[in-house]
This record gives sequence, structure tokens and C-alpha cells, in this order.
Amino acid sequence: MASVRKSGGDNLLVRYIILVSWAMVCLVPILWFLTIGFRPRTEIIVPEPIYWPTWSLDAWRLLVSDWPIALYLRNSILAVAGSVVIDLVLAIPAAFALARYEFKGREDIGFYILSTRMMAPAIVAVPIFFLFKNIGLLDSVWALMLIYAAINLSLVTWIIRSYMLDIPKELEDAARTDGAGDLTILWEIMIPACLPGIITAAVIAAIFAINEFLFTLLIASTSKAYTMSVALANFTGGSDGVIYNAIALVSFIAFAPILILVILIQKHLSRGLTMGAVKG
Amino acid sequence: MASILLKNVVKSFGSFVGVQDMNLDVVDEEFLVLLGPSGCGKTTTMRMIAGLEHPTEGEIRIGDALMNDIDARDRDVAMVFQGYALYPNMSIYENIRFPLRMRQVPKAKHDDLIRRAAEMVELGPFLDRKPGALSGGQRQRAALARAIVRQPQVFLMDEPLSNLDAKLRASMRVQIKHMQRELKVTTVYVTHDQIEAMTLADRIVIMNKGVIQQIGTPDDIYSNPANTFVAGFIGSPPMNLIAGTAQNGTFSSAGIRVPCPANLSGNITLGIRPEDCQIGGDNLQGQVYGVEPTGDITYLTVRTANKNIEIKAGREFRAPIDSAIAVGFDTSRLYFFGEDGYRVGVN
Repeated sequence: MASVRKSGGDNLLVRYIILVSWAMVCLVPILWFLTIGFRPRTEIIVPEPIYWPTWSLDAWRLLVSDWPIALYLRNSILAVAGSVVIDLVLAIPAAFALARYEFKGREDIGFYILSTRMMAPAIVAVPIFFLFKNIGLLDSVWALMLIYAAINLSLVTWIIRSYMLDIPKELEDAARTDGAGDLTILWEIMIPACLPGIITAAVIAAIFAINEFLFTLLIASTSKAYTMSVALANFTGGSDGVIYNAIALVSFIAFAPILILVILIQKHLSRGLTMGAVKG
Repeated sequence: MASILLKNVVKSFGSFVGVQDMNLDVVDEEFLVLLGPSGCGKTTTMRMIAGLEHPTEGEIRIGDALMNDIDARDRDVAMVFQGYALYPNMSIYENIRFPLRMRQVPKAKHDDLIRRAAEMVELGPFLDRKPGALSGGQRQRAALARAIVRQPQVFLMDEPLSNLDAKLRASMRVQIKHMQRELKVTTVYVTHDQIEAMTLADRIVIMNKGVIQQIGTPDDIYSNPANTFVAGFIGSPPMNLIAGTAQNGTFSSAGIRVPCPANLSGNITLGIRPEDCQIGGDNLQGQVYGVEPTGDITYLTVRTANKNIEIKAGREFRAPIDSAIAVGFDTSRLYFFGEDGYRVGVN
């Protein structure tokens, strides 16, 4: 008995070593990156790495004095959050129809929706520029919101659809015999049962949206509609050269909202909400 | 409360016919069980009554009203599913309340109705829990409470006990039967378990391959099976079916001779229930293949040239394997079936 327990302890130790090593592999670049944001400029470009930084708030001062960081952050958050809301409002009913209704061409329509994701964005960049120019939405956060929503809609629809396919049909049959109509079934049964899937889809869409660069660069011609990702590019050119510590700091600020979001909703990101509904 | 009528109902899925030309009349307040092997069309029949499937042809009536074009939500039937189908995000209280909200039952009445339904299935202390925090038996009782709470015209139960263990199944069976008698609601119950069918039903409908084989009371089905399918499906162990020939008032097969009606001839199947055989006699000669004591009864399997015959012997019966044995049949309880499988030689 004792030997069994001992080997169990060894196992646990090995497990911790593996997990901690993997966590280091994932986290060290991010932490290293963060230290760059708090080093003086010169320390970053020396040929030999300096492991322990000389702490400096140079980059921070540069951001606050010369840079409307609050505006860019606001633009990013507004465009990303708005696009995710639009995606969910459109994708949830679409996913429900694709998962549950039987109609001619259902599979084809489903595939068509997904196929919009397969196109290289550069192909549609120019038409989209003229489209937004004609409707007078250039250089506007609203335009970015629409574009981000359009880019992610197919993916969000597919993720939610595949979750809905996993919800037992019996639940819906039960609701129907209990007297519920389609909208009630969607709102009271399907959405709560798919919540982990919906949240996962929303987080993925938000990550894609906050990193979007090409269309943002096209549409946001002045700093009025700049988001964090495009504003970053400001530090890579011009007479000052590449300002690495500012880039690092801005990247970290852009990354922080998603990190906070993921930590807050972590428990919903895993499945298990349907547990107990139906015997597996 | 209502009767249910199925008239020439057909359900096909593409080229596969799930239910063929079905005629069925469920009397008001009756407990009717649809019994058959999986894929026999019993669940499809029930889903058509619920409105979850639409018949390809034929009429379905509940009470006097034609239901063919009425949506499931407007049929006033309550269904209990094999997998419980409780809404996972709602508490048991909210689960039971759901049909009341959907049917616009006045809010003031909800609490009273919910507590009464929960009381009937002994779920009172668990109303605040989520389905995930209940055991299988409790979940199934919650599903029952959700069905009875609004006093529907018809109960439909689709194998509600098959996910439960044997002991729980037996106690839930009694509970369901008692509840149905108390509420007097017409009930259609689907199962593949003959014990459930025999114990619960006022009448049993035996189905195979989408066709009704026989409709009758449990006693009737047991003592007068219409064909070899019914004879071989009901009873535990089921009736022995022995192929042989009839000539001049005698049925014979390898090792077996019994008298039969004089008008029978040609290929005939003999049916004899395991409890209608006695050790000692001159109807069957064979060897002991297996002896299975179970306490109150001993199951004996006798090998003949063609087939193994099951016999219920007395509790004390023991015999060595491969020993010769002679068996007698109660000749007043013999069944004969023709080549089409249907009963012959009945007066």
C-alpha cells in the first residue's frame, strides 16, 4: 500500500515538473516582453542581452505625453465589443437554424458561410475600401465594428452551431411538448445550454478582432479611428526609428483586456453546463 | 382526459417504412403499452401522437379533434423521455414550472401546483437543486412531475425507466401505475421490456417491423398469442417454438411427439410454455443441457436433435449434464402455428 502511495507521489512530482516547464515556455516570452516595456531604449538594442532590467518609465512617459492612448484603447474596445455583439446577435439564430431546422440546401448554406472565411483578406481589401468610401464610413469606428463582425461571423456561427448539434434533441422535444415555440426554445433552452460554446466563440472573435490590422489600416486613415494594433505601427518608422519599448508596452496594454476577460469567464470556457440534463 | 385514435397511419422515412397502416384506438383513461424490439416503430408511433413527427398518411385524433396539422405545443400532451430531458440550467422547481408558464397558467396557481406534483413523486426537498445534482431516479421523478403538473389530456412515456437500475425500475413501475390510476389520464407507454408491459398495461400493443402483431390485455396476449412473434416475445423464458410436421392428429419433431387437432397437416410449429412442461412423461426425449437453480425455481434446458427446450422445473430439481431425460407436456396448453406464423387449430 505504502509503495503505491509513494509511486503516486512521484507521479505527481513528475506531473508538476512537466506542467511548470510548459507554463514557463508559454509565459517567459510574455514576461520578457513586459520587461522590455519598462527598460530604457538603449538597453534593448545592446548586442548582449541584459537579463535584469534597469527599470525605466521612458516608454510610459512617451505614451502619455505624445500619444492619445486612451482614444486608441477606446476605439479598440468599442470596435471589438460592438463587433462581437453583432456577431452573436446574427450567429446564434443562424446556428440554431443550421443545427436544428431541416431545409433543402442546409449543408450547402452551412458550408458557404464557412467558406467566406477561406478567402484571403487582401482579395476584398480594395472593394471594401470603396464600399465604405461610398457610404461615407471611412475613418470611423463604426466601420471597423462592421468589418470585424463580418470577418468573424462565419467562425462564430460554426462554433455555436457545433455546440448546438451536441445538445440532445430530447431537450427541444420536451420543450415543444411542454408548449414552447421556436423562440422560447432558442432563448430559454438552447442559449443557456450552449453558453460555454457561445462564450468561447465570443472570446475567439474578440481575439481575432483586436489583432486585425489590414482592414483597420485601410479604413482608419487618421488617428481618429486608430485602434491599438494600427497605432502600434506608428512606433516602427519615422525619424525616431523603431521604438521597441513603446511597442512592447502598447502591445501589453492591447493584450490586457483579453487576458482579463479570459480570467473572468474561465469557468465557462470549459464544457459541463449540460451535465445532468440527459443521461449520456 | 381523452381517447386517442390512429386511423390507417403510415410513417415513412424516404424508402424506409417505419410504421405501416396502423389502426389503434386508445380508450379514455386507459394505460396502453406499445411493446416491441428496437426499431419496431413504437417510438415513432408515440412521437406522431405527440406531434414531434408527422404521419405520411392517415389520421391521428385526440378526443374528437383531428391532430394531423396541430403543432406539438398545442396538443396538450405531456411526454416523459428516456433520457429525462430536464432543462440543465433551471432548478427542479423551474423545470416543473416550465409547462405552466408556456401554457399561460395564472401565476398565482404555480407554486401550489408545483408543490403538489413534487409531493406526488416525493421530490419535495429537492426543488431548489439543479438536475445535475440529482441521482438518476430523482431526475426521472422530476421529469414525471413536469409531465403531471399541468394535468394534460394524454401522457406519453418513452421508455422512462430504461436508464434506471433494476431495483429502482421496479419501485418506479409501481409508482407510475399508481399515479396513472389516481390522475386518470390516458397514457401511452413505450417499452421493449415485457415485464414493464405486462405489469403496467391495461392493454398491450405488440409491434414488429412497423406492423401491429397483436392487441390485447396482458392475460390475453400471454394465453392466446396470435403468432410466433408474439409467442416468442412474451414470457420469461419465452414460449418454446418447435418446428415439425402434423399428420393424422399427431405432431412430431426430432424426439417430440404430441397429439394435435386432426385437421392439421404439413409443416407446423408447436408452441409450449416452459411452465407447461413436467419432468417425466412421454412427449419429449432428450439430454440435460443445463440446470440453472435460482432459488424459487430451477430452469432446465433440454437438448433435442433440433433445438434446446426451456423448462421451468421445481425448485429442488437437479440433474447431471448430458443425462437422458423424459418430459411431458400439458397437452391442453399446446399452441400450433401455421407456415405463415399465425395460430392454427384453434376452435
